[in-house]
Amino acid sequence: MNALIELSDVRKCYDDDDGRAALNGVSLEVGTGEAVAIMGPSGSGKSTLLNMIAALDRPTSGTVIVAGRRVDNLSETAAARYRRQRVGMIFQFFNLLDDMTVLDNVLLPAQLTGMPKAVAFARARDLLGELGIYDRRQAYPARLSGGERQRVAFARALINEPELLLADEPTGALDSAAGQEIGELLMNLNRAGHTMVLVTHSPELASRYASRTIRIVDGQLTGADRPIASTGAWR
Amino acid sequence: MRARPVLRAAAGGVSRRRVQTVVIFTVLLVSTAAATLGLGLLAAAAGPFQQAFAAQHGAHVTMAFDTGRATRAQLIATGRARGVIQSAGPFPMADAGLTGAATGSLGSLALVGRTSSGGPLDDLTLQSGRWVRRPGEVVLSSGVAWDALLGSTFTASTAPGAPKLTVVGIAASATDSADGWVVPAEVHALRAAGAPATAQMMYRFASAGSDAQIRADVAAITAALPAGAVAGSASWLAAQQLAQGTGAIIAPFVVAFGIMGLAVSVLVVINVVSGAVAASYRRIGVLKSIGFSPGQVIAAYVARVGVPAAAGCALGVGLGNGLAVPVLRRSAEAFSGASRSVPVWVDVVTPLAMLAMAGLAALLPALRAGRLPAVAAIATGQAPRPGRGQAAHRVLSGLRLPRPVTIGLAAPFARPARTTVTLTAVALGAAAVIFAAGLETSVARVTTDRSHVNPGEVSLWLANGGNLRPDGAQARKAVAAIRSQPGTLHYVAESTLSITASGLPGQVNAHLFGGDTGWVGMDMISGRWYRAADEVDVNSAFLSRAGLALGDHVTLVSGGRQFTARIAGEVFDPAGGQPVLFAGSQALGGSGLPIFQYDVGLRPGTDPGTYATALNQALGSQFSAGTNEAGGKFQQIITALIGLLTLMMAVAAGLGVLNTVLLGTRERVHDLGVFKALGMTPRQTITMVVNWVTGPAAAGALLAVPLGIVLHWAIIRAMGRAADTGVPADVAHVYTPAELALFALSALVIAAAGALGPANWAARSRSAAALRTE
Repeated sequence: MNALIELSDVRKCYDDDDGRAALNGVSLEVGTGEAVAIMGPSGSGKSTLLNMIAALDRPTSGTVIVAGRRVDNLSETAAARYRRQRVGMIFQFFNLLDDMTVLDNVLLPAQLTGMPKAVAFARARDLLGELGIYDRRQAYPARLSGGERQRVAFARALINEPELLLADEPTGALDSAAGQEIGELLMNLNRAGHTMVLVTHSPELASRYASRTIRIVDGQLTGADRPIASTGAWR
Repeated sequence: MRARPVLRAAAGGVSRRRVQTVVIFTVLLVSTAAATLGLGLLAAAAGPFQQAFAAQHGAHVTMAFDTGRATRAQLIATGRARGVIQSAGPFPMADAGLTGAATGSLGSLALVGRTSSGGPLDDLTLQSGRWVRRPGEVVLSSGVAWDALLGSTFTASTAPGAPKLTVVGIAASATDSADGWVVPAEVHALRAAGAPATAQMMYRFASAGSDAQIRADVAAITAALPAGAVAGSASWLAAQQLAQGTGAIIAPFVVAFGIMGLAVSVLVVINVVSGAVAASYRRIGVLKSIGFSPGQVIAAYVARVGVPAAAGCALGVGLGNGLAVPVLRRSAEAFSGASRSVPVWVDVVTPLAMLAMAGLAALLPALRAGRLPAVAAIATGQAPRPGRGQAAHRVLSGLRLPRPVTIGLAAPFARPARTTVTLTAVALGAAAVIFAAGLETSVARVTTDRSHVNPGEVSLWLANGGNLRPDGAQARKAVAAIRSQPGTLHYVAESTLSITASGLPGQVNAHLFGGDTGWVGMDMISGRWYRAADEVDVNSAFLSRAGLALGDHVTLVSGGRQFTARIAGEVFDPAGGQPVLFAGSQALGGSGLPIFQYDVGLRPGTDPGTYATALNQALGSQFSAGTNEAGGKFQQIITALIGLLTLMMAVAAGLGVLNTVLLGTRERVHDLGVFKALGMTPRQTITMVVNWVTGPAAAGALLAVPLGIVLHWAIIRAMGRAADTGVPADVAHVYTPAELALFALSALVIAAAGALGPANWAARSRSAAALRTE
């Protein structure tokens, strides 16, 4: 298995946290095409770990390498480019921009990269179609159901065709039916070749849709990985 | 109400929102300083005359009557005319030319017979000496005499028998009601042979605040008397204008700056303070949820704003005084009577008013927040109301512009009220810059236009201030010296006389030139420079006060002889204030007039200072040559004022923008995190945030250009009115299209300067921290 993500002895302390480490010596590898679930109680460091991989935050020490490139010491500009090209992010509360339509939300990452307008529109149309929300493209997020909003977030995360999807509690704000839909979607995306790191509280989600589960408590990995399939993916 | 939790909550807010605290402090500092400076200058400029007028029970109108046409009883009866609330007189009066053996001629003076300096009106201030007791004594006005003349004896050369008058006192009248006073019994003896008998009456009216009211008041008096009885009238407004001098000229633009500065300050303070409270709704909700009463919430947030606001106001008064004092000192050096310090009431009222305004601005949103249920306050939080700005996003996303630009341009539509306030502040700031630049150009052009005091670049006169006989040895020596200087291009002899003109009360200064004056650099408002012996030019004050127009004929009296001349042109006379006439010496009796000075025009490249020095060396101590430099202290003072006030307004407007963007970045910190998580680079973030204000700034610029032009035009006209002069086209119209385009950019510069700080903060902030702000 080629490691797409490699974390080595990553430690993260926040200034206002009395020196307590949010991550404390975390080392981890995630292979290309893998679907990994990160589980743990509130405040255990799950989201911090995800932020390190997305270069949304910098570790206090240790290294984070994604696709062979260190991302823990990138400048803000380089980090932004890295996220545009390689990472799609999905959040618990969707983080859609309320004053933009569905289509504008989805197009935004493509527009930031300077993707030609026609190409971006074609991709957005395809994605919204695949996700079953094309007819809602001119709606504003406030008019959508939770499941629809998360689908929009998926479309936005996928428009630049990233190889890595990072999902932070993607079903946490959804009812069970919508959560199941999103779970299926995650599984399909992984099957389509996207490497996925999924932060969740839900053992069910982890067991059903991740190929491996990593447990984290007080900033440290504690549980052994639990591969779901020997191939590491659903292909 | 328990004070401790309130104070803790307020203190927590002050320390937690340091940038906003600094912005509130700085805005109040600059606003209070600007208001102190503006009000201080206004009060100092307007004060002395008002005080003197009130203390002396000054007359609103002083009128002269022909007692051959109206009886004493008729004149006394005018005290009951419509609108009159008080009157004094009649006092006999006469025009007499006074000449002293040592001091020379004082010109023709209006002498009034009064038994005492006091009275119900025009209660004169005796500055030195005593009041007249018997014939042969005169008290001179401080406007025409000085203390050294006390005890001097003058001959009334125009009166039969040339009686002698000894100066026994110097007195001041706020309205310059006369040039001197004698006992009433002597007036008859001082009249020139054949001169009509005249008397003076003084009046106060119920309404006398404007020229129109004064005209109506004078008309009521005139109507009460037989035709032709009124020989002249003088308004207290004219005296006020003259006394206030430059203060009156400065007043319109100080007022304009004051109003604009105050408007910007009010807008920015309201924007900053109310925004600061509104941005804290979420925290207010939390405070309420843990037991803060509405009153405690209101007190905490008003106190939170009040602390930096009070500090800003207190220091702002100090800064305003610090800035005003040097300007006032220079003003006092240049123009007698001006105050050197800011009045105490300004120092008290200004900070209190600014603080009250800030308190009110904080109170209204705090009241709203205090009344909101806790959950509603938390839910209202910091975000703009959902749905706002969606249409703008939709429209702008279709433009062929980088996406960060269009997102930035759409943002202001989410906060229409705040955007309007910001737009207005930017428009006023930019209009101030446009207005100030235009005003500076106008003032520079005014001061380079020659006034009647200095028609040439160099003037030459007798060191003792006396006159030269045109055919005398001194005049020949002066002309020879001027001609021998290589830098001489033109020269002309100038006589200065006090004459009377039909339609004008009192004396008029006449500047009469003995030769070609086509080169004299006086700007014309209308008409042309005189060409014929029977043509004259006059300034605006002459025309307006005499009620004459170009082409009219005016009767002039000099040395007992009458001359009639046609008014050929209206001369721009920036020294303004008093009626002045310009003509060739032929207009008033030929070339034999005594010469007051020679005006010299120089060849290009000749330094006036060097030329004057050479002329002084050639002529010795008998003569004095000096340069007539353009500009001088008046221009320096105005330029300094314009610079200061403009800077303050631009800073206040920039702070307003900074605050708007700051609030925006705080409110949208989560969205900023999302943008960055999606791959927005720092440069794109800065572009987006700066574009939050470029739309309002561009709109502000579009408003600022016409506003600045109209304001400049109106203020120049008002300054002209204050100086009692019209304004020539080159002074009124100073902007070129290229300059206006450049000035419009000033709005964008103000906005960009204000936005860059928060934009950089937004670009530097870590995305993860922003995203945690749920």
